[in-house]
Amino acid sequence: MLLFGIDLDYLAFGVLFCVGLYMVVAKSNLIKKVLGLNVMQTAVFALLVTSGMIDGADPPVRTEATSAPFANPLPQAMVLTGIVVAVALTAVALALIVQIHADYGTIEVDELKEAP
Amino acid sequence: MTWGDALPWLVALPWTGAVLTRALGARGPRMAGGLAWAFLIATAALAVGPVTEVARHGAFSYAVGGWAAPYGVELRFDHFSAWVLPLTLLFVLVVPFSFRYLEGTLPLERQAPFYALLLLNAGAMIGFTISADLFNLFVFMEVVSLSSYALVAIAGRGLAAWAALKYLLIGGVASTLMLLGVTFVFVLTGSLNLADVSARFAAGVDAAPAATAIALLATSFLVKAALFPLHVWLPDAHAIAPSPVSAVLSGMVVKIGVVGLIRLYQLAYGSSAFEMAGLNTLLVWAGAIAIVTGAFLAMVQNDIKLMLAYSTISNVGYIVMGLALASPYAAIGGVVHVFNHALIKVTLFLAAGALIHHTGFRTLTDLRGVARAMPYTSAAMAIGAISIVGLPPTAGFVCKWYIALGAFQAGQAGFGLALVFGALLIFVYYVRLLNALYFKPAVHAAVRDASEVPWSMRAPMLLAALACLVMGVLGGVPLSFVEPAVLDMLPAWGP
Amino acid sequence: MRSVAVRSAALILVVVLIGVPLVVTVATLPAHGEADAPVHAAVADRYVEHGVAETGMPNLVTAVLLDYRGFDTFVEVVVVFAALMAVLALPRGDLDQDGTPETGGDALGASDSPVEVSPIVFYVVRTLAPFIALFAVAMLYRGHASPGGGFQSAAVLAALFVVLTLILGRRRTERLLLRRARPWLEGAAPLAFALVGAAGMLLGGTFLSRPGTVDVHLVQETMGFALEIGIAVGGAVILARLFLTVER
Repeated sequence: MLLFGIDLDYLAFGVLFCVGLYMVVAKSNLIKKVLGLNVMQTAVFALLVTSGMIDGADPPVRTEATSAPFANPLPQAMVLTGIVVAVALTAVALALIVQIHADYGTIEVDELKEAP
Repeated sequence: MTWGDALPWLVALPWTGAVLTRALGARGPRMAGGLAWAFLIATAALAVGPVTEVARHGAFSYAVGGWAAPYGVELRFDHFSAWVLPLTLLFVLVVPFSFRYLEGTLPLERQAPFYALLLLNAGAMIGFTISADLFNLFVFMEVVSLSSYALVAIAGRGLAAWAALKYLLIGGVASTLMLLGVTFVFVLTGSLNLADVSARFAAGVDAAPAATAIALLATSFLVKAALFPLHVWLPDAHAIAPSPVSAVLSGMVVKIGVVGLIRLYQLAYGSSAFEMAGLNTLLVWAGAIAIVTGAFLAMVQNDIKLMLAYSTISNVGYIVMGLALASPYAAIGGVVHVFNHALIKVTLFLAAGALIHHTGFRTLTDLRGVARAMPYTSAAMAIGAISIVGLPPTAGFVCKWYIALGAFQAGQAGFGLALVFGALLIFVYYVRLLNALYFKPAVHAAVRDASEVPWSMRAPMLLAALACLVMGVLGGVPLSFVEPAVLDMLPAWGP
Repeated sequence: MRSVAVRSAALILVVVLIGVPLVVTVATLPAHGEADAPVHAAVADRYVEHGVAETGMPNLVTAVLLDYRGFDTFVEVVVVFAALMAVLALPRGDLDQDGTPETGGDALGASDSPVEVSPIVFYVVRTLAPFIALFAVAMLYRGHASPGGGFQSAAVLAALFVVLTLILGRRRTERLLLRRARPWLEGAAPLAFALVGAAGMLLGGTFLSRPGTVDVHLVQETMGFALEIGIAVGGAVILARLFLTVER
């Protein structure tokens, strides 16, 4: 939340996104690639939720205990949906990896490339 | 009740069908396929209404849940959305083809999920095409992508799973890029509705993040559309998938990326806040390279499905080049080619599937002389081949002619020549194909003694081939249909 | 060896080329935290000020999810359903449709549990399980007024199912999924949205609209609950099935 002309939180999430991208691209193990995808998605979710925050705001649930200002409810709803989508994608990816392992006995890209 | 009320049902109907197909489908061998077919026919019938409505009165919107945009999700049916009608009709052709095709390959308890996946895929593509909300577009794209990954792997074992996983990883990165782009747009404007965002961009916004958002969204859509150099996932995935699935993937699913690009153009040009010339130049070059390399790589393939897959890459190049040339003829040609290529590719993949299914061979050298034994299939293949080369009485001719004209109109004659060169290369490989099928003696006994496919496979194939010829003759109809929408998009286009 | 180093260097270069402009741009987005940041400009005020009155839900996030942008949630539940269809459609070797090993070779041991379970774990889980389930139901019930809702409830229920399967073995927990009704339970969420959507249209509004006049307040709440229950049940069953299918 600190500002030195740039938003440090956003910067951190941007770097996290690139770390995830590196994992997908550079790692040889298929599960690590899928994890890299998850890291990328998490970075975007974090960016989204953080953008909706207001300094000193309460969560967007209107009860007697909470008062204005409220955090923006829209990015939170978007991230809830996004998490579910990411879970679905991971599930399908893992099922495919199980299939690959059953047939080839390996989940390393280097070894898979040499398979017949 | 207006036709707007039908819009959410264009999505909800096939999806309800998917749930029912899953729940009831294991009860009998034809149950799942039959249910799926019924729901798709119903959806196609329902789609006729909005298409005639937009033809008569222009684009119309629908606020889901009664909340007006930008507070709620807006569905908008414009001339480009009319694509949903040919989309569903093509599914109506592909599904019965799958009945016999998958009989030996897929056990009964996996057929129900297969047809459910097809229905989910169709409904999501329809949803993507009619949605006017960025986040809504994202989630629809995810359903399309997820079902596509599974459909690639469905009939094979490790090799198919590996091709599907590569598709998933690349597609997953693209989807995340899309979400990041939507996030950027949201942080800059606070809104997700396409028209609202366009207006807010026009009212003034930071240039660098906004341009990055457009770039992220464009990259994501172009990966899904498999434009060079982002096409690497396509050849393996489309070649390994069972042929009806390849027809759906090459014919329809890659076009979703193109629809996304069109929506992006509408957003960017509508706001006049962006200088699109840079992106357009990049896309024209990428498209031209795709045309030529796709055609060349198709030419040197022996496997018939790999040949068709590379041909898809080439044709996506045509479409994107047409859109990016930014002149009326080119853009109209590009948009109509979305539909025409879908029709032609479905014909070709169904015919290829029929050949593979009945002879057991996939390569040109092995399939020599099959025309004698399977005349209907070969005829369908031949018509598809002539269409894709772009010879006059067929569907392919008109759009490619328009794109070439558009290249000259935009003052970029060189790219028109790329198009002609690509067409010549395609001509060469389809001559090879037809030569092998018709004029060479059969090499294998299985080919010589093959029987023609049953009518559940033959009819869809022949109907699609017939449609290729009909759309060639009636070529003017889709062109004049999309013309107002394209011209609407154009005025803000930069040089 | 050298080619591996070259390949790694090339990959790092690609990521840096894409990453550096991206990170720089991300950092220059309008900073968060200010109430007048552009991100709040379009829709947030209406949700915050009128959300409770218009939707009857104090939890504004649930209001956005189920009411204002209910169509997005519809597509989301279909994403999960699609994932299950995808996993079920793939060939799964020695497993039959239900994910149980065919009766020929028994892959699970006599105790039916894939891990060695200590008595402490066994006791704790079995004692807490009903309370966890109750908590999930409570989250579902209170989802419109406090943090919670269909998805959260589904996640807790599915997690409970996973833990129970780990200690009791799949044969005993599978029965929880009600084999006969299971395909319908899996599709509960998309069906709930389709039905509520149709109801909305029949009651004179648009797809997924919920009549908001005072005397049909009950109808509005019922429709909201129907969606939440559909999401919770459908989501939990699908997640449980995904676990069973991938776990061997």
